[in-house]
Amino acid sequence: MDVNTYTKSRELFERALKVVPAGVYGHQGPAEACFIPADAYPYFSTHAKGSHVWDVDGNEFIDFMCAYGPISLGYCDDEVDGAAIEQIKKLNCATTPSGIMVDLAELMVETVDMADWSFFAKNGNDATNYAVMVAKAATGRDKIILINGNYHGVSPWTQLYGYPGISQADVSNNIYVDWNNFEQLEKVVSEHRGEIAGFISTPYYHPVFQDNVLPAEGYWQKVRKLCTDNGIVLIVDDVRCGFRLDMKGSDHYFGFKADLSCFCKAIANGWNISAICGVDSLKDAAASVMFTGSYWLAAVPMAAAIACVSKMQRINAPVVMQGIGKKLTDGLVKAGAQHGFDLRVSGVPSMWYMRIANDDSLILHQEWVAECVRRGIFFANHHNQFVNCAISDEDINKALEVADEAFRIVKAAHPEIGR
Amino acid sequence: MANINLFAILRNLEDLCEMDAETRSIVKGKKMSIQFTVKGGPSAVFTVDDGKCALRRGNESCDIKLYFTSPEHLNAMFDGSKNPIPLKGLTKLDFLKGDFIHLTKRLEYFLKPTDELLADPAYLKINTYLTVYTAGFALEQIGNYDSKGILNASRIPDGVISLSISGGLPAVMLEAKKGVLTTSKGVAASARAYMTFSSLEVANAILNGKMASYSAVGSGDFVVKGFLPMLDNMNKLLAQIPEYVS
Repeated sequence: MDVNTYTKSRELFERALKVVPAGVYGHQGPAEACFIPADAYPYFSTHAKGSHVWDVDGNEFIDFMCAYGPISLGYCDDEVDGAAIEQIKKLNCATTPSGIMVDLAELMVETVDMADWSFFAKNGNDATNYAVMVAKAATGRDKIILINGNYHGVSPWTQLYGYPGISQADVSNNIYVDWNNFEQLEKVVSEHRGEIAGFISTPYYHPVFQDNVLPAEGYWQKVRKLCTDNGIVLIVDDVRCGFRLDMKGSDHYFGFKADLSCFCKAIANGWNISAICGVDSLKDAAASVMFTGSYWLAAVPMAAAIACVSKMQRINAPVVMQGIGKKLTDGLVKAGAQHGFDLRVSGVPSMWYMRIANDDSLILHQEWVAECVRRGIFFANHHNQFVNCAISDEDINKALEVADEAFRIVKAAHPEIGR
Repeated sequence: MANINLFAILRNLEDLCEMDAETRSIVKGKKMSIQFTVKGGPSAVFTVDDGKCALRRGNESCDIKLYFTSPEHLNAMFDGSKNPIPLKGLTKLDFLKGDFIHLTKRLEYFLKPTDELLADPAYLKINTYLTVYTAGFALEQIGNYDSKGILNASRIPDGVISLSISGGLPAVMLEAKKGVLTTSKGVAASARAYMTFSSLEVANAILNGKMASYSAVGSGDFVVKGFLPMLDNMNKLLAQIPEYVS
């Protein structure tokens, strides 16, 4: 099996280092993205189609990260991109918004079970920021309850004191509880009665570096009641899970109703838009919050979102993606076991998390993932993976073939495995 | 800062005596022990024994006892603006005014590099060793005593972090156990997370702030692997070092 080389990626990176902080910053950069070892990974792409991406060196990858989630239907989906291109010819950014904003809001309200209204922005971080502000505006309270380890973006309130750039004041209104620990949450609410504006969480626990954990039986229903009884706004950060579990929203999937739901990634198949959906009782508070941006009402991403959400509904994308994920992960676990590796898969199959559990350092996992990437199967090391609807059986078979070879290579370097 | 001055900076004299003949010659044939006692701060014993230096935490029977009214007082002695209060060994204070000053001046020479000095491979080697050790031992002090550092240390999962140069020394191991950090010198036989500089030059450039660590990860000059949440939180302690050591 051929192994990738990345000469042009590295040349570009050298240029980038001179003019861009860290060369490539944030979650797509080699440091934050945990490219271990760095020489196994491409740094820059040229083009993509369906489930495949090509890098600047001409290496082809089946991409199981899907741009960290936005690619839901497959790269450069003709229907979605076609809608965007048609809209470009008419209008994008203007002094007053295009009427398709109303079309998209209506579509979101029709699609998402809890939604009575919809508000649009650009990134998931905008959505969670806005949701927290709406909760505070609606309740007149300051405090927010968060789950330890959850990710809600990069705004100061979403980070921890002690991190670079984060002051104590930034997080002074945060209260943290553990996932699935209803008693702890109940205690915190009781101790801060009348002070808590909102409870924000992802639909299930999907942090990096840890096995993902689904909600315990009845957890969300008890949380819903607790929030209702105490006038707390229940915010679901559906940025990552949204439309990969259920077209009606992940709260619907888990059998409860959120007050505010934040969507982004899957909504427009890579076009830049996010959405916040809310219940009617919060609409006035939402209107009162001054929160906007130069490009938030741009029409082209809205046209893409309309096409994307419509197509995802038509093909029942969450079911398609979960089926693909199940087939692939079953095969990966089996391939690992054949070589003596305990590959643990957790979360929902359309965005599964995996790790090799034979060691507690994750070094075996990092070695295995690196061998997969070198052979054209793009997995992330410690983030959950993502499925898109364009992944074919042929892609899955290829991925399993590469995974098997990668397991064999790592086993050869660690003959003690499986003894 | 008092902890850093003693256990991250002054401690380097142990290594400098081994690496630098001139430092060794200052204490050749000498035997002396100095107790540092700081009200509301750390206690340490610095010993000299025929060309070797050592620093230990705590109190011992010593030739000279120096008392400091506060951590700030100790820090002021290190920057040369205040004198200690000698409680014992008044007849031996010549050592403090002479050899001890020479030792610390020599240490300062190696810890305050210039581009010209770093062009000398021998200097670069010693500076890198001392800088790695200073960073390693400063991590322990910041993580265990600085209020923000305690918070970040508490987030480091249990285990050993290896910080080294590719192929061996200098190397330090940082063990995290329930939020308490312990640094020791040497290459870890087994660690849960690794940070490895590709060369002495790269280590020197990164630790002296001339090369960005994030860039070096991308270029492969700085290799990280293993349980990265340990490194992620340790990095936040590393970022605090310039607040104390400049």
